[in-house]
Amino acid sequence: MDIFTRSLWIGTAMFLIVSFIKNKSKTKQALKMALGMGKGMLGSILSIIFLIGLLLTLLPPQEIALFFGKQSLFIATVASAALGTITLVPAFIAFPLVGTLVDSGVSAVPAAAFLTTLTMVGIVTFPLEKRAFGIKFALTRNGLSFIFAMIIALILGVIL
Amino acid sequence: MKVLRKIKDNLFIFTVAFAYLVMFIFKPQMGIDSIINSGYYIKEMLMIMPVVFVLTALLDLWIPKEKIEKHLGDESKIKGVALSFVLGSVSAGPIYAAFPFCIMLLKKGASIKNIIIILSSWAVIKIPMLTIEAKFLGPKFMIVRYILTVTAIVIFAAIASKIVQKSDLPAKEEKQKSGLLLNTDACMGCTLCSKNYPELFYMKSQKAYINKNAEDINLDFLRAVIKSCPVKAIEYNIDEDEV
Repeated sequence: MDIFTRSLWIGTAMFLIVSFIKNKSKTKQALKMALGMGKGMLGSILSIIFLIGLLLTLLPPQEIALFFGKQSLFIATVASAALGTITLVPAFIAFPLVGTLVDSGVSAVPAAAFLTTLTMVGIVTFPLEKRAFGIKFALTRNGLSFIFAMIIALILGVIL
Repeated sequence: MKVLRKIKDNLFIFTVAFAYLVMFIFKPQMGIDSIINSGYYIKEMLMIMPVVFVLTALLDLWIPKEKIEKHLGDESKIKGVALSFVLGSVSAGPIYAAFPFCIMLLKKGASIKNIIIILSSWAVIKIPMLTIEAKFLGPKFMIVRYILTVTAIVIFAAIASKIVQKSDLPAKEEKQKSGLLLNTDACMGCTLCSKNYPELFYMKSQKAYINKNAEDINLDFLRAVIKSCPVKAIEYNIDEDEV
């Protein structure tokens, strides 16, 4: 657990205690609400998680990354940005992986595109986002994130 | 029929379950690998989601609407943008953890632009992640990517707020009983209302509905239900009814 997650737990616990002292029934209601939210989202989150597990087995990140290295820069950038949208990969896998790629001579441009879409654009989480904010919001946010991920990558390539 | 309806309502879950079934029949080893791969994400979810839900509910009850509107609403300008970046960056967990939090902020009057900033920075700008990035890709790569990402988020949040209006968000209201409104699009099927007031609310296809045959409304019960709804999907206009 990193320090931010830990402080979030500690902060919330303190908030909960203060809230409980100030107003018992309101706090109980808040906990009920939290439980309700959890129940409402649990099914979707679990299916997303198991889908990611499946995708990681079918398309291991290492192999995807090796594939990028052999393509032309443009194709590699678009392809890596596109592949990055599919799943959520934890930082401790993504960064070392991209790091070894850049060390072995792969350009930083597709690497940056991949890193950015990996976390910001989510096809797997799209149904959940659509349900929460509506289809127009979800499409706009993911679409713009994708375009800007590639712009970020290209500028990064020029600067570095 | 009942089974069919259940499958239809949970199509996504059943598709994933089916994919696993096929995998276990033909490639059992891959099935086991997939479950192991999922393990990390389950741990990640358990570490962050309970605290996000509790915090969201507490903030929902304690922070008044005017405050959110003032600091994150359309009039909040540059301060709202800065606050959104801070909220997104100090957060933890994957992007879906931000959804319940952002729904709550939207209902309380935060602007779409600021919500997009929170969601995007929640996803990409994580301070613990930045240190890992600097370690593996070098501090220069990390700093340049960080600056470019923040700039990009500010630009595309502004563009998105021009494209998406508040009316595009799930908020179609259904008038079902005099003065009583239930926003079925916002409902996420937590069943709190049907549990607390089963005479007036019932669940169908994981959504709450108002029982039109209910005789009279117990206002105390109804108020409690309206307050407890995590997505604020229930509204009641008292002036339309004689109280």
